[in-house]
Amino acid sequence: METIAVIFGGRSAEHDVSVVTALASIIKPLELTKQYRVVPIYITKDGAWYSDDKLKDIKLFSTGAIDEFVRKASPVTMQFDGGLSLVRSGGLGGRKIVRIDLVFPAMHGTYGEDGALMGMLEMAGVPYVGCGPVAAALAMDKVLAKQMAVTYNIPVSDFVYFTKSELIDDLNLAVATCVKQLKYPLFVKPAHLGSSIGISRVTTDSELRNALEVAMQYDNKIIVEEAVQNLIEVTLPIMGNDNPQPALLEKPLTSAEDFFDFKTKYMQGGKKGKNGGKGAKGAQGYSQIPAELPKDLYAAAEKVGLDVYRALGATGTARIDMLIDSKTAKVYFNEVNPLPGGLYAHNWNKAGVSGVELVTRLVALAKERHASKQSLATSFATNYLQQF
Amino acid sequence: MRRFIGAVFSIFLPGYPRTLVYMLQATEYQVAPFLKWYWRTQNYQMVMKRRSLEMTGPARMLLAAVRVGITVQVITGLVLVYFGVYRGFAGGEAFGIAVILAYPVLWAHLLVVPLLLGRELISKPAERKLIAESKALFMNHPGIKIAVAGSYGKTTMKELLLTVLSHSLNVAATPANKNVSISHAYFARKLTGTEDVVILEYGEGAPGDIARFAVITQPTHAVITGLAPAHLDQYKTFDAAAQDIFSLAKFVPADKLYVNADSPHIESYAPPECVQFTTHGALGWRVSALKTDVHGTSFVLSRGKDKLQLHSALVGKHQAGFLAFAAALAHELGLSSAQIRSGVAATKPFEHRMQPYQMGGAWIIDDTYNGNLEGIRAGTQLLADLSAKRKIYVTPGLVDQGVESERVHTEMGGLIAAARPDLVVLMRNSATDAICAGLQAADYAGKLQIESVPLDFYTNLKHFVAAGDLVVMQNDWTDNYA
Repeated sequence: METIAVIFGGRSAEHDVSVVTALASIIKPLELTKQYRVVPIYITKDGAWYSDDKLKDIKLFSTGAIDEFVRKASPVTMQFDGGLSLVRSGGLGGRKIVRIDLVFPAMHGTYGEDGALMGMLEMAGVPYVGCGPVAAALAMDKVLAKQMAVTYNIPVSDFVYFTKSELIDDLNLAVATCVKQLKYPLFVKPAHLGSSIGISRVTTDSELRNALEVAMQYDNKIIVEEAVQNLIEVTLPIMGNDNPQPALLEKPLTSAEDFFDFKTKYMQGGKKGKNGGKGAKGAQGYSQIPAELPKDLYAAAEKVGLDVYRALGATGTARIDMLIDSKTAKVYFNEVNPLPGGLYAHNWNKAGVSGVELVTRLVALAKERHASKQSLATSFATNYLQQF
Repeated sequence: MRRFIGAVFSIFLPGYPRTLVYMLQATEYQVAPFLKWYWRTQNYQMVMKRRSLEMTGPARMLLAAVRVGITVQVITGLVLVYFGVYRGFAGGEAFGIAVILAYPVLWAHLLVVPLLLGRELISKPAERKLIAESKALFMNHPGIKIAVAGSYGKTTMKELLLTVLSHSLNVAATPANKNVSISHAYFARKLTGTEDVVILEYGEGAPGDIARFAVITQPTHAVITGLAPAHLDQYKTFDAAAQDIFSLAKFVPADKLYVNADSPHIESYAPPECVQFTTHGALGWRVSALKTDVHGTSFVLSRGKDKLQLHSALVGKHQAGFLAFAAALAHELGLSSAQIRSGVAATKPFEHRMQPYQMGGAWIIDDTYNGNLEGIRAGTQLLADLSAKRKIYVTPGLVDQGVESERVHTEMGGLIAAARPDLVVLMRNSATDAICAGLQAADYAGKLQIESVPLDFYTNLKHFVAAGDLVVMQNDWTDNYA
């Protein structure tokens, strides 16, 4: 039986969302396949790694008992031994080494979804689910992702960006730059965070100033974007390597002047929007699946999503967020989420893919990509060293 | 090895007495099934999977008795060991240890003694008295008394008749699946004598049952819902079960014996003068325009110029025969067309019997109370009839099939294969191999999934299904069969 390590938690503002993704959408269905031994690896908010079957129980986290667990348990280490092994140390049993056959990252945000973890897994040479380090890093940098989209002639809303030091040096200049190059209303976003954390919608200079100050608490790079008018916000989960397949276009039921922030997504069950309470309640609140759009517009949005996925070199799965101007019927790429919260299983379910099938397919895609990489030559014989 | 040690030690764990009482409760305090289960069990820690002990009065008393008894026996054993070691009592150590080690098996059997005594000395005489009294009550009741018998579909037919006829008449029916003499006796005591119709379900379990019920309840009409291999552990052969069910023919006039002729083998047993009904019609009424989906079944019932457009929330074309019969009988008993229409419209699926519900975007047909081959035939036919993105069939197989088990389950595999599901989910048990053989013989080409922990599958069904799926789940084995 193969051993799959599910890594979750982490040093990220989306730590808690990651716990739910891992436990509800990954570990449970993986175990139900009866094909894999699932090893949970939990990373605390300060970066310590733990592994224990108790970590598969959501109650450990929801009751706060995790603090007591962490206080008593010994952290684990990872061993790079021509693959990847988990090393549990201490206790009467001494060291216990568990060989990991495949890793299923369930990390959101920094140090997990941004390519950092994927880099480590590439180094270890172990197959893993989801995007590679380059695609993940690009996806998690909203500025780079938009620049990449522009290169591929994929429409994006106008934007400017600043580093944190630029903002600290001269916030007024940043505000002036925004006012000169963009038109209100604007969105201010930390460039690397997902789950809509630290995002503000602003309509005045003073709001913009405040929003920039808030955003730089979360990130070193801030993006300011022009809001799309007559907005329809849609998102599209996609799965695949060379032949990506879309799930269903999903429309969050929020009002045009609102946006899908963290509270709306995770804390209020989507009640913020004017249509809150109607539609499908997915992992992230109320939304319409599939989005009710004119056929041509639906197809156009699906195409933009797939174009972005391919341009990014995404593998495994990702979710592409898009903005539609309903008057001009123009679709803008907004951002990419290389590991959608809860794998967007609710959307895949509506598309006819069960939770068990979703994780099974993602594992197969991870193996396919790994096998493809293994077939590439990584060394060739030289006499270079013999010269010394 | 570890598993073996765990299994052996499971009889010495503190939870063992509780497990024993649970097993007794789960088998409805029947000694033979309890002992059969007891000797079949390998690890007593793994028994309580689906339910736990319900602390009723008898359960509490039995548990206390077992605990006290075990304590006394262990103390006795220790005393014997003490005398053997310190007081020179010859063989005291060995005898004492044997007394201690014997307590789990001994108390599993001692537990049934009060039941046997209680049943023979108290319950049975009291029941006999009640049943005798009920015979007089039934005999003097002026209403129509309809007996409903058959290997399957009894509760459905009883509920259908109750629902439809109640739209005009004063109707009483035996509750739930209370279908043996003592249940009939309790039911008789609640009758007021003013009922127009009394419906009695006959639950056959052993040879002679049906005739015994009929002698007591004196039916004026009888419905035989179908024949299928069931309770073969008692009847031994299908023929014996069929003969028993059709013994009902001796107690009602031939024109008041209604037989479901859709059921296979029925022609070999039904008297030629009896009245037959099928999905094509009943009592001179003809069924046409029959349609079914997850929302129900609709058809037109016509006779001469009379025409009734009927719809029921019951799912499956096989329901048309029962519905047509209920409607036709209602007409004979004087219900108007409007009353019949609304009566049939009021019928709905019963819990766990072809009961459709949605899970996400998937449709689940819960037929987990089904326990016979004809029910499987209906369920697999429904799976074949309905359209879906992906069709899934789930079953552990059937219980109480006796020596027919292999043949029945192989046939079942063939029925499943004929419905062409994309995925078949079987629960690993004694029936699995025969079902697989049936699937293979019928060249089943879909996926096969065998679950070793059925409860894991049932409780996590939402993780296995997606929008567009149609899942038919037939039968479910309780702890005493699993």
